[in-house]
Amino acid sequence: MTEKNKIETGFGSDAKKNPQRIVFVTRKTSAKVTDDRGPLLMTYPHLLLREAIAAQILTVLVVLVALFWDAPLEQLANPLLTPNPAKAPWYFLGLQELLHYFPPFVAGVILPGLVVTALIVIPYFNVNIEGAPIWQRNPKQHFRNYLGVIIALTVLLALFDAWTVLAPTLLIGAVLIWSYFAKPEGSAPARYFRSRPLSWWLMTWFVFVAVILTLVGTFFRGPGWSWVWPWRAYGA
Amino acid sequence: MATTLHSLLDQLRETRAWKSVFRRGPARTNRTRSLAVFGNLFLHWMPVKVREKSLAVRASYYLGSISFLLFIALTITGILLMFYYHPAVPQAYRDMKDLRFVVSNGVFLRNAHRLAAQLMVLLVFLHMFHVFYRGGYKPPHEFNWVVGVILLLVTLFLSYTGYLLPWDQLAFWAITVGTNIMSAMPVIGGKLRFTLLGGNLVGENALLRFYVLHVVVLPLIAFLFIGIHFWRVQKDGGLTVRSKDDGKE
Amino acid sequence: MSDPKQQPHASESEQGHTAGAGKSRRDFLNEITLGALGIAGLGSTVVTYQFFSPNVLFEPSMTFRAGTPDLYPVNSVSFLQDQLVYIVRMTEGFYAVSAVCTHLGCITQWKPEADTIACPCHGSKFKRDGIKIEGPAPRPLPHFSVTLTPDGELLVDKLQTVKSTQVLKA
Repeated sequence: MTEKNKIETGFGSDAKKNPQRIVFVTRKTSAKVTDDRGPLLMTYPHLLLREAIAAQILTVLVVLVALFWDAPLEQLANPLLTPNPAKAPWYFLGLQELLHYFPPFVAGVILPGLVVTALIVIPYFNVNIEGAPIWQRNPKQHFRNYLGVIIALTVLLALFDAWTVLAPTLLIGAVLIWSYFAKPEGSAPARYFRSRPLSWWLMTWFVFVAVILTLVGTFFRGPGWSWVWPWRAYGA
Repeated sequence: MATTLHSLLDQLRETRAWKSVFRRGPARTNRTRSLAVFGNLFLHWMPVKVREKSLAVRASYYLGSISFLLFIALTITGILLMFYYHPAVPQAYRDMKDLRFVVSNGVFLRNAHRLAAQLMVLLVFLHMFHVFYRGGYKPPHEFNWVVGVILLLVTLFLSYTGYLLPWDQLAFWAITVGTNIMSAMPVIGGKLRFTLLGGNLVGENALLRFYVLHVVVLPLIAFLFIGIHFWRVQKDGGLTVRSKDDGKE
Repeated sequence: MSDPKQQPHASESEQGHTAGAGKSRRDFLNEITLGALGIAGLGSTVVTYQFFSPNVLFEPSMTFRAGTPDLYPVNSVSFLQDQLVYIVRMTEGFYAVSAVCTHLGCITQWKPEADTIACPCHGSKFKRDGIKIEGPAPRPLPHFSVTLTPDGELLVDKLQTVKSTQVLKA
């Protein structure tokens, strides 16, 4: 139906010929008021003063620690003398620990490359965008799949003797398996782990392994990258 | 005493000189507060109003803000350190000793710089994990997440190039191992290592190149991407949680 | 039914699709410009890469003299610090083994009491002929070419790796 008015703006709306989509109701949505995002406050002063406070707290902390904790300085660089052990900065020590088990091409190029690629791709992976809990859909089949992956990973890591990677993997795997068999109405930890989506489990596994590897590389590796107990070795 | 100071300040604010710089008067009404953000060169990328929920510590733990503040601190301490550092072999090492024993407050400055650097790497990782667990990468924030990953790599590379600069055993061998890992890359690995080091060995060319990267190239890239990162956060709606069922909250 | 007033718009030919006559002048010029910019961009990249690749290096020469053969006792392993090479003399002759560990480039150390070359970084161990005994090193230590100069000195060329069976009889 078109509307003719005196000004003749020519506004045409032919609802029968060109139906217009007003709202799209999917299976998962329900008619509800969208979440109110809460009141607005002026950026100045509310946000800016909070940032200023954060800056001041940070300055005080950094100054205090810098006054007492000296940055290290070893001997002059000597290309002919390799210190034992020769360690990378702490954020690369996890990688150096991996290098102990896998050839440089794998641990130094492939794995970091895969990690960075995986990180970049995360938001474009349209799987489970609503964050459904891990055992919500097809629990039996998914459990078999995940168990298969855990076992395959265990075999692979054991083949390479990479037990510092294997131990945290097995731990996370054990918690995952326990969460499958735990009762949905059970203890608070059981309910918590059962409610996490797959993406949470993957990231938590990655973070846990990375932290363990970094800790091992920092405190538990000595000359020749041999295993040392930090309380027996002097300095890390 | 306080009132005379107050009235002095008020008089100052009435002067023509002051008004020519701070044109809108004190930000005491919502209008002037809006203008203080909107009309400011350094702040106008921010919205004039923010959601109250986004200000809570639990919303972001201010991890991103602290990372940026650390970056500013590193820039300032870094520039100060530059006044006493020569990127030459073996002068660089002597300059480190100078900073420690000769230069006033040199040891504090270097400690602060190194501490802030370690903290920044840690904070950037924490920020990334927190954004992930909060679901802050989901549409429409995908591009900003990628910008964040780029910033992570820039931060790591900044820390790595800075690591060589003291030219001590720790620095030299950490970089030797790292560049050897890089040469394990197929086809381009060897050439990449040669170009980065400016030679076959870690020597004076490597020190100079790492210095230029650390002091000029990477900070500029970082500033550029930080700008994009901040802009995208605000343009995509700020820090509010979109709905209660998103991720962990 | 009133239609919206027709806006006069540019004739078809200016929009780049003349009926059946192929590309328009605009498209052609656009393509030429993009091509030129592409060539310029590619050229700039190549030139910049060349700029970054140093042509003169102030590093010790990769070819060096190691003295006369009688400086080295039979069945000995001598570490040349400046060149990071082991001169090994066996009864069959001489060979030069790289002292740089094949794992990640750390400098190995000769341990005479264990008769091994050991790397301090990750624990790789090699025999005196460079064959790996244990550790994460992926390859044995390479051998460099050793020849005899006309005036009787050993000449080691680090740019030339040779098979580990090759020895210089001297």
